[in-house]
Amino acid sequence: MARVPATEPLYLDALGPRGTYRTRVPSTVTDVAGTPIARLSLVPPLYVARAIGVLRQAPPIAAAGLETVFATAGEVFAAGTVGGLSVREYERLVSRTSGTPLAVVRAATRGTAHFVRHAASSADRGRPRGAARDLSDHVLHETHTVWARQGDVFAVNASGNHPGVHRAWLEALALGYRVAVRPSRREPFTPYRLVAALRQAGIRDDQLMLLPTDHATADTLVHGADRAVVYGGDDVVTKYAHDARILPQGPGRSKILITADTDWRDHLDALVASVAGESGTACVNATAVLVEGDPTPLAEALAARLAVLPSLPPQDERARLPVCPQERARALSAYLRTVAAGTHAWLGGGGIADDLGDGSAVLRPAVHQTANARAPQLRTELPFPCVWIAPWTRADGMAPLRGTLVLSALTRDRDLWEALVAEPGIANVYFGDQPTHWMSPGVPHDSYLSDFLMRSKAVYEGPS
Amino acid sequence: MPMDAFTVLDAGPFDGVDPDEYVRAAMRWHFTPETGSWYWLERVDRLGFDPRHDVRGVADLALFPDLTDELRDVRVSDLVPRGYGRQARPLHVFESGGTTGAPRRVVQMDDWARHGSEQVTRRLREHALPVGALWLTVAPTGPHLVGDVLQRAAAGLGSPGLGVDMDPRWVKKLVAAGRRDEADAYTGHLVDQCRRVLHGQDIGVIAATTPMLERFAQDSDLVEVINGKARAIIWGGTHMDPDTRDLLRTEVFPDVPVIGMYGNTMMLTSLVERGGLTASEPCVFDPVSPYVFLSVVDPDTGRPVAEGERGQVVVSHVSKSMLIPNNRERDTALRVRPAEGHAGDAVADVSPAPAVEGATVIAGVY
Repeated sequence: MARVPATEPLYLDALGPRGTYRTRVPSTVTDVAGTPIARLSLVPPLYVARAIGVLRQAPPIAAAGLETVFATAGEVFAAGTVGGLSVREYERLVSRTSGTPLAVVRAATRGTAHFVRHAASSADRGRPRGAARDLSDHVLHETHTVWARQGDVFAVNASGNHPGVHRAWLEALALGYRVAVRPSRREPFTPYRLVAALRQAGIRDDQLMLLPTDHATADTLVHGADRAVVYGGDDVVTKYAHDARILPQGPGRSKILITADTDWRDHLDALVASVAGESGTACVNATAVLVEGDPTPLAEALAARLAVLPSLPPQDERARLPVCPQERARALSAYLRTVAAGTHAWLGGGGIADDLGDGSAVLRPAVHQTANARAPQLRTELPFPCVWIAPWTRADGMAPLRGTLVLSALTRDRDLWEALVAEPGIANVYFGDQPTHWMSPGVPHDSYLSDFLMRSKAVYEGPS
Repeated sequence: MPMDAFTVLDAGPFDGVDPDEYVRAAMRWHFTPETGSWYWLERVDRLGFDPRHDVRGVADLALFPDLTDELRDVRVSDLVPRGYGRQARPLHVFESGGTTGAPRRVVQMDDWARHGSEQVTRRLREHALPVGALWLTVAPTGPHLVGDVLQRAAAGLGSPGLGVDMDPRWVKKLVAAGRRDEADAYTGHLVDQCRRVLHGQDIGVIAATTPMLERFAQDSDLVEVINGKARAIIWGGTHMDPDTRDLLRTEVFPDVPVIGMYGNTMMLTSLVERGGLTASEPCVFDPVSPYVFLSVVDPDTGRPVAEGERGQVVVSHVSKSMLIPNNRERDTALRVRPAEGHAGDAVADVSPAPAVEGATVIAGVY
């Protein structure tokens, strides 16, 4: 990512087995207004195949130096100049291309650096109590079990909805996998910065790569790796549902449940944050709020709070709402209108696209109320603050709460706590005044990543 | 019409005939009742112009609409020019890939098979291909033109050939249906056959489709044996992007010349990469006067793009065997000045038309 005079474009090269690699005709990365911002080198399948071959031959990162590597990389990512870009320049570019408000990007920079620093200990949290770290771990003599990788090469087909998605693969690196990241073509800056920072900190070129590709070539990467995480919609989840080597990350459909024993007015800030925090573009943003009792006052109050968020370009420090190209905004607006048929619109009923006049548009919040907890709209997750409010009764039970990445439950009912924790269709449960988007290193996002990457292996050392 | 009016149509590819004169003679041949095919004689009334008067040279081929879709339904016998005589039968009938519906059919008469392969062989000789070396050809045969072109090219160089056949239509079907595992298994089956030949025989020339070469590049034993034995690699049948071409030439097979071929069914032959290009130059394909003419146009206006610019490739095939004028390919390419003595454009960096990414909304945040 060489910094060049303003008249020349910014180049985002692939970070391959032998340093940077620039294609003959790099593809153009545009900002939300359609202005070219950078030139991204999309590598062909042959390059990907050979890069995976190199990753496979490379040794895992030595566990000994791991803490230092991650500590250094965290500092570089948060404050350093990487690929010619200062952190401020980097954040501005992310904001302009992904449409994520600058304040959200800045918070994500700090958050990601925090995850980088804790990547090693975080990865180790998922280790079963009986499994030794390695052959030199003395617990082995007691348990006869070692925690072992299920493969060598890990690939990520990443998304660009939020800079924070790249925290996930750090643990794979910490677990000894060699990692290839395919960035989103919309926002390749964050993975570039993270991969480059980790390389600066000492991870070798043959251990960690950034391989930008077109859509078709992404398959070569995903199928060439031993384990892969792929972000996408329900189509992606369906496509990979039966492939044990691939972990699809689909819509989160996070939700909030409020029972009659709790006054929602005491938690309105957390509700607003769950819907619109992180600009509402994360899989951990609330898609639905289920209320025991009449949901109308809550819907009205939530709509009033979200209505005052300003429409501003993403790089404005006061911006809180996501921005995207005008055409996409109109398509999303039309889609929402179709989906929302039969519900009551408290906010956004007249459309959610707010043109900024430069070819981009703000995606304004939407609040709709459905007649019951079985309404299909409650499963419609969209990349902006868009929430469906529904009444919930004990008779509805667990069914409307399933298929959920994060459920925030505002309830004093301890039996319900137990039931929610026991429910397999809910990945994470937060009780009390905690927004759905809360995350912390070492706390699982969608189970521990190591549940997918590692296995426990019996190792018996007899007298020799 | 006296038959000697058509003498020029018997010219070989290196006889230096004037392309415009050749095209005029071809119009007389294909549109005179005694010599033309039933297809063209029946079609001429609906053209809106008289090719025998209005087509005065190569440039006027642009008067024709792109009629290649009609080749999906025309009876084979209706494509054979009557001038070949009552008993004449095509040497081959080839079919297009069939990716956009039913395949389009073309006929190859004996004289065109000779002229077409003569130009391929001559150009391969310019690349200093060895004479008499054993070939391994990994390309589709049967209804597909490319396998025949390669087998004839080998024969033209006095080279015996071993072949591994493939069915690209089946692979496309598997890929379209998302049956990736089966497509991979089929590719593996092809590679196994090639491995046996490459390890067991003294292969001097490998002619293969781009995906097969990419697949070979992933197996170090194959890379080693190819670098050790082969004196030339020819790719064709599908596109090769310039980065892949560079990787193959500089990193994977640095010791072997890698030569491109661009052709398709409607061209009825293949164009061989221009010789003597430096590493930094794009892969250029010259046309073949007086039979194959290329132009590069703006897909919206149909007007030629400037030299060095990218546009849609338009191909005309003109021979005694067939007339396939003004066929708008799905390929794009850079427009390049052709080599001395060739009419129309040359093309460089041929690539498939970009896929249109729809504006449909997929729910979710990713």
